[in-house]
Amino acid sequence: MQTPVHSVTAIVVAHDGARWLRETLSAVLGQTYRPDRMVGVDNGSRDDSAKLLTQAFGPNAVVSMPRSTGFAEAVHDVMRRLPPAVQGTEWIWLIHDDCAPDPRALETLLWAADQDQKAVILGPKLRDWLDRKLLLEIGVTVARSGRRETGLEPREYDQGQHDHDTSGIRDVLSVSTAGMLIRRDVWDELSGLDPKLPLFRDDLDFCWRARAAGHRVLAVTSAMAYHAEASSRRRRRIAASDDHPRRLARRYALFVIMINLPFLAMLWSMLRNTFGSLLRTVLFLLAKQPAHALDEIVALGSVLFHPGKLRRARKARKRNRKQGYALVKPLFTPPSAAIRRIFDMIRGQLAGAGPMDSAGRHHAVAASPEEEGEELLNDDGSVLRRVFGNPGVRLCLLLAAVTVAAHWRMATGGLLGGGALVPVVGGASDLWDLYLEGEQAPYVAVLAALSTLFFGKIWLAVAVLLLGCVPLAGFSAYAATRRIIPYVPARVWLAATYALLPVATGVVAEGRIGSAVVIVLLPAYASLATRVLSDEGRPARRAAWGLGLLLAVGTAFVPLLYGFVFVLGALAALSFGGVRRGVGVSLAISLAVPILLLFPWLATFAANPTRILQEAGLPLPADPRLPPEALLTLNPGGPGTPPLWTTAGLLAVALGALLLRRHQLIVAVGWGVAIFGVLVATVVSRLSAWPGVPLAFAATGLLVCTALAAHRVAEFRKAGGWRRFGALLISLVAFATPLAAAGLWIYVGARGPLTWNIRDPLPSLAAAKSADGEGTLVLRSSGGALSYTLLRGRSLLIGESDAAAADQEVTAAVAGLASGRGGQDARALAARGVLFVTVPAPIDPLLRRALDSEPALTRVILSKSLGLWRMVVPVAPPAPPPPLDSFQRGWLWAQGGLVVLVLILAAPGARPVEPEVQFEEQVAGERVLV
Amino acid sequence: MRRLIENRFGLLALVLIALAAVYGGAFVSRPAPARIAPVQPVKAAIESVSTVCPDPGGATISAVTPPGPRGSGKAEVLDGDKPVTLSEAGRLWQKTAAKDADPIRVVATGAMASGLEAARISRTLTGDARGLSGVRCVEPGASAWFVGPGPAAADLTLHLSNVEAAPADVSFVVYAGEGLVVTEQSTGMVLKPGEHRTVKLRDVTTSPLVMGLHVIATRGRVTAAVEVLLGRGKGADWLPLAGEPATRVVVPGMPGSAGQRKLYITVPGEQDTVVQVKAVLKDGSYALKNREDVSVPAGSTTTMDLSTGIGGQPAALVLTSQVPIVAGLEITGTGDLRDVAFTAGAPSIDLGSVVADGRAGKTQTSRLILSAPFEAASVQVQLLPKEGAPPAPTEVAIPAGRTREIKLAGDEKGFSVVITPQPGSGPVYGGRVIEEKTSSGQLVTAQPLQMARTWALVPPTTDSPRTVLP
Repeated sequence: MQTPVHSVTAIVVAHDGARWLRETLSAVLGQTYRPDRMVGVDNGSRDDSAKLLTQAFGPNAVVSMPRSTGFAEAVHDVMRRLPPAVQGTEWIWLIHDDCAPDPRALETLLWAADQDQKAVILGPKLRDWLDRKLLLEIGVTVARSGRRETGLEPREYDQGQHDHDTSGIRDVLSVSTAGMLIRRDVWDELSGLDPKLPLFRDDLDFCWRARAAGHRVLAVTSAMAYHAEASSRRRRRIAASDDHPRRLARRYALFVIMINLPFLAMLWSMLRNTFGSLLRTVLFLLAKQPAHALDEIVALGSVLFHPGKLRRARKARKRNRKQGYALVKPLFTPPSAAIRRIFDMIRGQLAGAGPMDSAGRHHAVAASPEEEGEELLNDDGSVLRRVFGNPGVRLCLLLAAVTVAAHWRMATGGLLGGGALVPVVGGASDLWDLYLEGEQAPYVAVLAALSTLFFGKIWLAVAVLLLGCVPLAGFSAYAATRRIIPYVPARVWLAATYALLPVATGVVAEGRIGSAVVIVLLPAYASLATRVLSDEGRPARRAAWGLGLLLAVGTAFVPLLYGFVFVLGALAALSFGGVRRGVGVSLAISLAVPILLLFPWLATFAANPTRILQEAGLPLPADPRLPPEALLTLNPGGPGTPPLWTTAGLLAVALGALLLRRHQLIVAVGWGVAIFGVLVATVVSRLSAWPGVPLAFAATGLLVCTALAAHRVAEFRKAGGWRRFGALLISLVAFATPLAAAGLWIYVGARGPLTWNIRDPLPSLAAAKSADGEGTLVLRSSGGALSYTLLRGRSLLIGESDAAAADQEVTAAVAGLASGRGGQDARALAARGVLFVTVPAPIDPLLRRALDSEPALTRVILSKSLGLWRMVVPVAPPAPPPPLDSFQRGWLWAQGGLVVLVLILAAPGARPVEPEVQFEEQVAGERVLV
Repeated sequence: MRRLIENRFGLLALVLIALAAVYGGAFVSRPAPARIAPVQPVKAAIESVSTVCPDPGGATISAVTPPGPRGSGKAEVLDGDKPVTLSEAGRLWQKTAAKDADPIRVVATGAMASGLEAARISRTLTGDARGLSGVRCVEPGASAWFVGPGPAAADLTLHLSNVEAAPADVSFVVYAGEGLVVTEQSTGMVLKPGEHRTVKLRDVTTSPLVMGLHVIATRGRVTAAVEVLLGRGKGADWLPLAGEPATRVVVPGMPGSAGQRKLYITVPGEQDTVVQVKAVLKDGSYALKNREDVSVPAGSTTTMDLSTGIGGQPAALVLTSQVPIVAGLEITGTGDLRDVAFTAGAPSIDLGSVVADGRAGKTQTSRLILSAPFEAASVQVQLLPKEGAPPAPTEVAIPAGRTREIKLAGDEKGFSVVITPQPGSGPVYGGRVIEEKTSSGQLVTAQPLQMARTWALVPPTTDSPRTVLP
């Protein structure tokens, strides 16, 4: 077989690349198939590039170009000057100044070209310049998002794993211009690289056009070149454009996609990329990478807002675009890759791994693997095994089982409610609407957000928070103490004891959702506060923002919490402020964020300071005669709390910890918090409020200080002898508290006002028949007193329960109606939009007679479970609530914005991955010309 | 100090001292147990009254509003096309209605409604309806109970009126001696607004000798009254409204005159019961010998003859039972031709009571029978004559567990009676009986005292979202 005759012109384009150029040139000159002609282009280098080129190729073969010239432009310039070869197939071999081909590279490429007449563009396998075993590219393709895909793993070593198929020749969408061998007639036919793409994606665009024209693009794995990727790795300043390479890469990525896709596919891609870019911008912002976010959005904008450019470029590519699309399409990245990438990205973000990479990997990222926590290291790969092997998860499951066992006999079949919890009705959107009406407690928004997460079902969110309070508290206590307490058995004991505190079971029994939230959050407060006090710099500040946000959430549910934390925070600032720099500021941030987020609502407390003792939900006063011994044993009293002796084990161990000399300070601090908590609890209790939250604080203080000292028990055990016996005894006493609490809870069963079988107070008939705004008056008499509430279209939502002062006229009218004195009472109610009057069972016969004798009412239903009367007089629908004034509306927006801001500030930030490169050869302050 | 902290037990001691201090503080600050004050309802003047006097033809209609704190208000008697306005409070208004008149409405609003009372009494000397027959004019309601003789023993007419703006669906249930009677005719009556209707109970069911009758308006409200004609020479009267079923029923107003007394007890529930009967007499309250208990099957009505034992003494009966019951009493006068009167279970008149129609004269006597079956009571009795200045009120004290009979010496032209319990008085139950001596025999009519429509008890009312929770 006769070897066709080739004529190869090697074009080396250099731009400030003297660092690599010497080696590149010697590699070109040392080819086993020596190129017939060699041309050097120097794009206005400020280093020795021009000299090196002249040395290698002679002064006649070197073209000098201005500094701002792009790669494509430089090649075009050479091609214009280059006379056609006299004989053979003419080829052009494009070489970057930072790309050294292997000595056999050209020979192998030409051999591959001989195998297939349609192969017109060929590229070598690219490996890393420094680490020469590292694979960079074997041809590239593109995802529809514009992402450049090499199909390789990051930092993949070349062990020939990609070489075996089809004797090292791979059909690809595109190859890099570094080492690209192009048949000249094709270059002329397609008018070469597009000079409008000066830096990135010119290769993709060109190969795409070649592909669409029916040619083949091959990556030849047996040919090799070593590439430094100097521009995209920012090893040198880009002179072709002023913009950041990342922004350029993204812009040209979008641009190339949009000019080469057929029209409909382009529209779809435009839509998709616009949405995707906006999403990425938001995600970048959340990841605290504002520069990335800016690049992303600017890149998108610069493509979308230049339709002229787009149109011209599209016009130039009109010929084969549509017909050739079928040839190109199979070479795109499959869609599943995008999903996989999103998954990886989320995982990476959660692990704090690094920025999202939307431009596509131009090279293997040199990120070191994250150092993982002690527990993550000893896993053996399976996610399930890792999750269920975690003692915290096991404890949580165990506590969940205990909760289920305790609630096994709970009556079900209706609405969840009772105690401090109004029967839960409605969906997340109702809660949002309620909150956006203004003047609602901010916890409504928190619950609305939670309900939205729980598929829009409030009852699910409330049930998980309230009934799941015990396992959630256990898990949160276990997870939050990871950094504080290294000794795992101590953490398990702490978490179990904390979760089964009398306060926790009391919370469940009384339906105190506010306290439930605080109990779950309390360990997180402790953990974040520790970080604020002990960490340095950014992590401490981040923890401070996080603490502030969580405090705001907790305060929204239980305002008392803030006062309590404020005192502790002030004490901490006094004792740590001088020790560590920035602690004072961090604490101030933590304490200021709740005030800022909850401002107008907190301001209403000034008028009625006792409201600080109320928590979310229905007012449910506690017994002011709580015995002192109950307070000392951390028992808030009331339904659902175990006998006082249950917590004796905890107290005994905590007192014992005082005897350990080594931890005296920490134990003393813990006891200090505990005594302060009990003191506050005493005051709160005497004011007829529920002392659960201060008691939970007290318990947290005791638990943390005791668990910190607990590793001494392990030391005792190892010591053997009587100490071993002592250790066993201490463990027994310590674990007696959670075990007894769990056992009693299961044995007695979860009793209390909270049930799951509350009838909807609004009869379905009334709900169905009342038009918008028409109300149903619910009357309930007990012990001679009458209470009422007015429902409009649905039963009370969980946040409506503590709103609105009573209307004296309505109260008088209701009293008159219930007394059966006749008169205008019913009409007065009708004028306020009351269409139905309902009395839930048990129906007081006097009340029933009074309603029956009222001429303006007619009875609709009277059964064992309810009575329902309807107005026969015309009902005036009440005026809709006045729209929010501009301050309120503005505040709601501001509040939302502040929450997002604090979230961003509190979120774990991405660690900087791109090394801050020093431009050694740059003069300080020099502005690079375009 | 330093030594104390460095000592192993120093810190423990400090903490224990602090805990003791906290305990002490909590102990000292513990409040005394709070006494729960019982909730006291507030009295509020009734502002609107609407009553219907059934079958007024030939009867005397009496209406009165007792004197009291005055304000604006209006009371009218809607008799045909010519409404009559009551001139002033404290003045009895009387009129004899024309034959075949439609039921007359007495309505009042504002101050004139406070205590408005109306009654119709007819006096017939011949025929089946011979006797004094009286009944309070009825307020519309959704439920009305009557106990008395059944259709087999008497000619019973149920008078129904719907004076409301909404139509009323009416049905009724008869509890006979043998059990519940439900027939097609007793359900599904629709009374249009303003419609009056009479139902002959014999057309519905013929067999019951005794009955408890429950009239129910499933929609809207009606007034219901039952006229009883026992037959020639046996007497006639109207059944008063018996109270709603209760486990303790007091039947007041048994006069001290001679004649037959018959107790009716209806058990509307689904459970047989034994009813304890106790009589409250002038000299104490007793369980009746050999008739301490009456057992009544569920859903039926039974009778007990009380003529012997307490006959001839003014009395009230206290019935207690495990399940709610309804009770009434038949009073028969003496003479060749007899007349009957009915009384029934009634509430105590804690807020006072008004009787519209009292009569006194040579042959007619009106008496109040007041009982205080549980606690000692005292009431003030004020007569309001039709003309002239009212006499001074009299105080009546009733010892606990006793009954007193008061003869009302009022104006011959007619008078009303206002009975007001004095502050601190126990519950008082009562009845009013009018008797007339004629040559052929005594005429009699009775009515249990009902709570005056003066005051309503307004419960302490609060706007509370907790209402949605049971």
